[in-house]
Amino acid sequence: MSSVPSTQREAGWALVARREIVVKITDRAFLIGTLVTLLLIGGLMGYQVWDAGRTATYTVAATSDVRPVADRLASDAPSLDEQVAVEVDAVADDAAARAAVRSGDADAWLHRGDDGWVLTTDSEEKGALTRVTQDVVRDVALEEQAADLGTTVQRLRAGSTVTTALLRGDAEQSQLAGGVAYAFAFLFYVATLTFGITLANSVVEEKQSRVVEIIATSVPVRQLLIGKVVGNSVLAIAQMLLYAGVGLVGLSFTPYASLVPGVGGPVAWFVAFFVAGFVALAALWAVAGALASRVEEVQSTATPLTFLVLAVFLGALLVTGTARTVLSFVPPFSAVLMPTRLLEGDATWWQAVLAFALLLAAAGGVVVAAERLYRRSLLQTGGKLSMRQAWSAPE
Amino acid sequence: MLEIEGLTRRFGDVTAVDDVSFDVRDGILTGFVGGNGAGKTTTMRMVMGVLGIDAGRVLWQGRPVTAADQRRFGYMPEERGLYPKQRVLDQLVYLARLKGLPDAAARRTAQEHLERFGLAERAEDRLQALSLGNQQRVQIIAALLHGPTALVLDEPFSGLDPSAVDAMADILREHASTGVPVLFSSHQLDLVERLCDRLVILGHGRVVAVGGVDELRAQGPVRYRLALDRDAGWVREVRGLHVVDVEGPVALVEVVEDGAEQALLREAAGRGAVREFTPVRPALADIYREVAAR
Repeated sequence: MSSVPSTQREAGWALVARREIVVKITDRAFLIGTLVTLLLIGGLMGYQVWDAGRTATYTVAATSDVRPVADRLASDAPSLDEQVAVEVDAVADDAAARAAVRSGDADAWLHRGDDGWVLTTDSEEKGALTRVTQDVVRDVALEEQAADLGTTVQRLRAGSTVTTALLRGDAEQSQLAGGVAYAFAFLFYVATLTFGITLANSVVEEKQSRVVEIIATSVPVRQLLIGKVVGNSVLAIAQMLLYAGVGLVGLSFTPYASLVPGVGGPVAWFVAFFVAGFVALAALWAVAGALASRVEEVQSTATPLTFLVLAVFLGALLVTGTARTVLSFVPPFSAVLMPTRLLEGDATWWQAVLAFALLLAAAGGVVVAAERLYRRSLLQTGGKLSMRQAWSAPE
Repeated sequence: MLEIEGLTRRFGDVTAVDDVSFDVRDGILTGFVGGNGAGKTTTMRMVMGVLGIDAGRVLWQGRPVTAADQRRFGYMPEERGLYPKQRVLDQLVYLARLKGLPDAAARRTAQEHLERFGLAERAEDRLQALSLGNQQRVQIIAALLHGPTALVLDEPFSGLDPSAVDAMADILREHASTGVPVLFSSHQLDLVERLCDRLVILGHGRVVAVGGVDELRAQGPVRYRLALDRDAGWVREVRGLHVVDVEGPVALVEVVEDGAEQALLREAAGRGAVREFTPVRPALADIYREVAAR
């Protein structure tokens, strides 16, 4: 029989963590899920690229009396909006124009109304076409009126243009910040939920099958908890980095490419907050698993946690103003909100450091408390336990 | 040697294990019997350190047992099932490594054990693909593969078919013969009687009897079977005896006063031919019923 040398031993938690990872990455469902998500991200980016490059061609029906304005629309449209092209469909009368729009032969009918011009469409307005038409009609009207007054449009317009400028960042950047923040909040939500449930289930499976008793006689229960939390955190973070990486690479092919370097710094913050927030929640998920004694019970022992995770997600999306600032320091909300505020340029570095320290402290506290709950409930097999029962249960 | 001294465990108001003391000696099989809820599993879990102890202690080689000692014991919990979806070899290597074996040694010992148990070809199968009997074999391998210094097995025979029972019995004997103390619980008294050198009987959380199987039998009531030519109804008149049963010329009596059996024999010889006069050794099941009823 083999003997057990005291050297060469790998720490118990590392063995547990490695098993968690190996089992997961050889699980077909997990691989397929990851692949499908990557395809979705790739598809979304591809759509952005395609959408940015495409030109929509509209057919506008016009009777002969408004033909000059319609022709002007067709010739000016590309210079006003590069994604809009207009073709003119000459029709005999108003009835023919209506029929053309109704049948779909034409997208819109340009004609004079009681007071100005009307762009009639079938059942929905064509936003881009409407904007272009408004510009062209306004130019035509201005030119006519300027000619009546014996002047030119250029002279009338002199000094009347307004352009926009932002003191911090620019408009596209802030729009992108919103998108990235949403994506991050969503990733955090999905990762904490899916990996959390996986973790809780794997804990209760070990408990139900009594493997945990064999493991508990081999390594301290703390090592088992640490190993499970570390293993699942590594998986979740690797998956998130993969998604974020593919997303950023994809972004660099879109018109937002120039903004990618600006997102890189905040992404580092996102990762740091993600790790701390995820670890704290993972420890709680392990407790949710340990409180149950059968897999079917996890759903109920994990309910408060499911709500907490959802609250973090919704908090990141919906809370605004002072409440948002305050919440960005409160764990676990800070895990999503603080890096989001950083990306928006709304928080300073010392705020981020403070929030991160608070989150780390909370994660540490949760892990210590979770360890007690986990250790005491893990070997109780007489049915579902409450948090209170687990806390005061004898070992 | 594993010594259990005054172990006590309460669950709320219920004392599941109450001042339980016994030894598990080196090199022999110790059977642990008792009805449901007698406290066998609770005692074994305390011995293995997976359940806290309210009072008492466990000694290993004469000193209080440590987690490091327990780590080297082999343990088989009551209800079974390792990781159903993991491959057999992978999970045995994992469990051996948790016990502290380096990777190569863990792999080697797991493969050796699978071969010994005729499971070498199933090494790459997922556990759930194996029959229940084979899963049970994998479970016992999990308890044995690190070369345990003691074995604590909770109902190792439950769910096994007769040939698997024999194979399991051989394994336990073989491990005991290397000087390892073996403690196992069972409901199957005939099996325990056949296998065990020593016996611990638990009832309602207390030890009701402990000792060698012969020793325990000797403690049981002494009975004699008497077979005559004619009706044996007269034995009811003999003093110092308790008549268990009389059926025609055959009687089964229990000796209450020492020497009463000699008086009975003289009387019988005086009345005619005595065809049979033999002491009856009580079966373990009788002793168990006797002590459990006390």
